[in-house]
Amino acid sequence: MAKRPFKFRLLELCTDEEPHWNNDLVNQVAKEYGAENNKFMKETLNFDLIELAAFGFLQDIEQKVDDEGVWLKGALLHKYVITDYGKARAQDACLGPDIGLKKKREAGEI
Amino acid sequence: MVDTEQMRIKEHENRIRSGYMWALFCAVLWGLWYIPGTVVWTIEPFTGMLEEVSGMISGDGPLVIVAALVTAFNALTVIIALMVWNGTLLRLPELGRTLREFKPCSKWFLIGSVCGGPIAIFGSFMAMAFIGGAFAAVAGLLYPGVGSITANLWYGEKITKRAAVGILVIIAGGVTIFGGGLINDIQSAEGVAWLGYLGGAMAALGWGLEGAIAGVGLEVSESDTGLTARFVFELLLWWIIIIPALAIAGFPMYEYAIQVFQPIPLLVMVFAGITFGFCYVSWYKSFPLIGVGRGQGVANLYGLMSIIFLFLFLGSTPAWTVFVGGLLCIAGAFIMFTEESLEIETLRG
Repeated sequence: MAKRPFKFRLLELCTDEEPHWNNDLVNQVAKEYGAENNKFMKETLNFDLIELAAFGFLQDIEQKVDDEGVWLKGALLHKYVITDYGKARAQDACLGPDIGLKKKREAGEI
Repeated sequence: MVDTEQMRIKEHENRIRSGYMWALFCAVLWGLWYIPGTVVWTIEPFTGMLEEVSGMISGDGPLVIVAALVTAFNALTVIIALMVWNGTLLRLPELGRTLREFKPCSKWFLIGSVCGGPIAIFGSFMAMAFIGGAFAAVAGLLYPGVGSITANLWYGEKITKRAAVGILVIIAGGVTIFGGGLINDIQSAEGVAWLGYLGGAMAALGWGLEGAIAGVGLEVSESDTGLTARFVFELLLWWIIIIPALAIAGFPMYEYAIQVFQPIPLLVMVFAGITFGFCYVSWYKSFPLIGVGRGQGVANLYGLMSIIFLFLFLGSTPAWTVFVGGLLCIAGAFIMFTEESLEIETLRG
């Protein structure tokens, strides 16, 4: 299947409604697009997350200092979770109606 | 133990600051664009084309036809500058991916390109031709009002009280400049250059709507690729629809288009492409960081920049109302600039 734009994919990864650390999301997408060793590309992807949070798609729920240097030693790591607005926009904008419904499915609503 | 909350606030402040920085870059480059935009009306082949078309139709029509060719070349040189930019940033594959997602994403850039290109940029060239560079620049100053109100009504983008005050002061500045020129014109013997004022209004409306519409596409795409997508659509609009349609109507579009490929006109158009292309890059970069309304508000300083540049490079001194209006625009931009940054942690209400 053809790859979709970075932000679509980042959003898609968040539609499991679980919280994710920014470095995990960035590394996952960078790997899928063949850019695991491309620091510049990873910065770009991280900036996409910041933008998605600024637009209210994701919520920055927790921060910790990157002591181990998994992203950038001494900098902050952010944990994001998708918002209701993000889910609504993701459904009508880029990912179709059947995403982000894990919790509903588990609750037996669908 | 490092206070993560403090670090988070610091990160956020940096983000807002870089957003304002991008908007300011946009203002400088945008102001510079009015130099080639004004000069283009004094050089061949555009002067020759104007003469020939004047022999075909009467009234104000010929200037509008030439403005179409100028805008089409503006789109072409902008796209060349942006392709180089995206290539350097390794974004070309992402551009392809963005364009392919027409329904969810790039359709917004198509609609934005109609507002930005055939309405706003074309309107600006008309205002430059009929009235002059300084007027064209300041006429567009009203666009942040259109942009923030549309973004607020349509998808509830926040406008804080302070930002609202800033926008109002900027609009007051725009009205001073617009009104001053119009009153002068009405009193003068030559009458009012209505098409020039119409062009100015098209610039304000087109750019305001473009910002708000592009905001929706930008939510799910990257700013560099989103912007390039918008200009790809504008390029197609001009070269596949408008220019061929004018040629079929009998105007010598292609004859003069070929003549643009000489050193002087090419240099002027490339100057236009580089300044305008990168002004848009900075503009679109500021939107996700500080929001459409504020991004447009600060970028509005272009009105004053253009007056300074036009004075320095072309020696044209505008009327005093233009200076007063320009000062109001700076004041308004600073009112928005000094906003407490945590008020805009999320951009949507």
